[in-house]
Amino acid sequence: MKFSYIKPRKKSVFTPEFKLLFTFFSITIFMLVSTYLFLLFKDYRFDADKKEIMQNRSDLNISINQMKEQIQFIDIQTLLSEKIYTQNSVLKESITNLFDLVPDRITLSKASLLENGLILYGITPNKDVYNFMLQAPLRSIFHKTYSSFYPAENGWFRFVSTNYIQDESLNLNEVNEEEIEDED
Amino acid sequence: MFDKFFESLYNKVFVNVIVDRLKTTVYIEVCNKRNVVESAEEVFKTTFYNAEMKAFISQYTAETPFNYITFLDTSVDQGAVPTCVKNKTPLYRDLSASITKCYDDKWTFYSSQEELYALERKYDKLGIDFIFSPFTILASFFKDKTSKALAMYILVQDGFISLSIFNESELLYAEHLDLKSSIENEEMLIYDDIDEDLDLDLGEDGIELDDISAIEEIDSFEDFGDIEDLDSIEDAEDFLESTDVEEKLHENLEEEELPLHEEEGFNEDYQRFLLIQSSINEYYKDLKYDSEFIQNVYIADGVGVSQDLKRYLEEEMFLDVYVRQIDLASSVGDLARVELGYEV
Repeated sequence: MKFSYIKPRKKSVFTPEFKLLFTFFSITIFMLVSTYLFLLFKDYRFDADKKEIMQNRSDLNISINQMKEQIQFIDIQTLLSEKIYTQNSVLKESITNLFDLVPDRITLSKASLLENGLILYGITPNKDVYNFMLQAPLRSIFHKTYSSFYPAENGWFRFVSTNYIQDESLNLNEVNEEEIEDED
Repeated sequence: MFDKFFESLYNKVFVNVIVDRLKTTVYIEVCNKRNVVESAEEVFKTTFYNAEMKAFISQYTAETPFNYITFLDTSVDQGAVPTCVKNKTPLYRDLSASITKCYDDKWTFYSSQEELYALERKYDKLGIDFIFSPFTILASFFKDKTSKALAMYILVQDGFISLSIFNESELLYAEHLDLKSSIENEEMLIYDDIDEDLDLDLGEDGIELDDISAIEEIDSFEDFGDIEDLDSIEDAEDFLESTDVEEKLHENLEEEELPLHEEEGFNEDYQRFLLIQSSINEYYKDLKYDSEFIQNVYIADGVGVSQDLKRYLEEEMFLDVYVRQIDLASSVGDLARVELGYEV
């Protein structure tokens, strides 16, 4: 102030009534804006949660598929194991039966199990013992049976018996052939 | 920032209030950014803020929040001292109870703190933004003269006289005179004189005309026998040189335009003359002041003084007197606009 003893009062367009109204509307607008922002935030969070859940769902679906595949694989393995077990049991039974077939007078020195056959090595006191007591049961089991003998040092005979099982389609022909051979 | 923006949208209203002894003048100016777009003046026969005044002011101030109420300081205890240095002001006056302002780092004007507060309290319903000293109005009004040679400048208000002496913008002397208190003092002196007269012992012989000093004074006029020859004195040319011809011409024009208040102002003008005379005496006698000889007197007439005052000063004190009419309310408004950065 250059010349005046006192300073002028502060002038403002904001009268007390205006300030009251301004305050009221400011608070109202602030509340509306804050509510709007809160809803925006919640919406954003909802979208984020939704995306996360969708991702989880997708991941779970993938996991489920993987697990299904694993279950399927395990089922197959189980079936396979059962089959093998069954086959082994059958094989065991067969081997047991086979050894039951061998008479006391014949001694086996070696037995080779093939996929579709059996090769037996052993010693028999004579060919008849072999033919009647061992070859006969073998022929009832296998489709083809070949036997060869060669004399041992003590007068017995060493033998090699080769036995095969043929497919069903070939069975009839082979059976016929065997029958013919037997007749011979 | 918002305030500045809103301020630029509104007009400013300057309410200038001059409180006289019996009336209050309210002068209102509505200003845009540069000019005065509207003005109105109303005189109220009261010295208090009343409903009528409020209604008049409100019809302008209601238009804008940027309204400024300006008062001319009417404190009795006010004045000016010819220095701005704080430790030198006590040489002239004790200003501990006054509010002071420095004018152009050259001189200080002051006013009683108590009276300013009283003025603010009196008009607290209206509110006051500016209070101006009559000395600032005087300096502003005679801005074209105070920077020149030594002269006395007088602001005549209703009931007050603000007197100052400037020499090349330097204040030499200033005094604020209250007409009312001086009249009261004089009345008291008159009563004292009457009492003294009553106590006079006239003596047995009664009154002797030779004892009356007035008759001796009349005789002393005989010494002025050669008064008609004064014009022939060469020294008088110096006085003629100091005469302000321009101001004289301006004054003559004003005299033609304005009516004179010869009758009603006679007593007051004489009173004013006595106050001015006593002030000039004090200025010459008091060693505190740089007393230089005063030749020219410029009167800012705010009330319409009669020609008597001028005549008294010219004839009794041999001064060259120039009278300018001043509209106090308008001048106060000008100062308010200057305060707010307007160019006047």
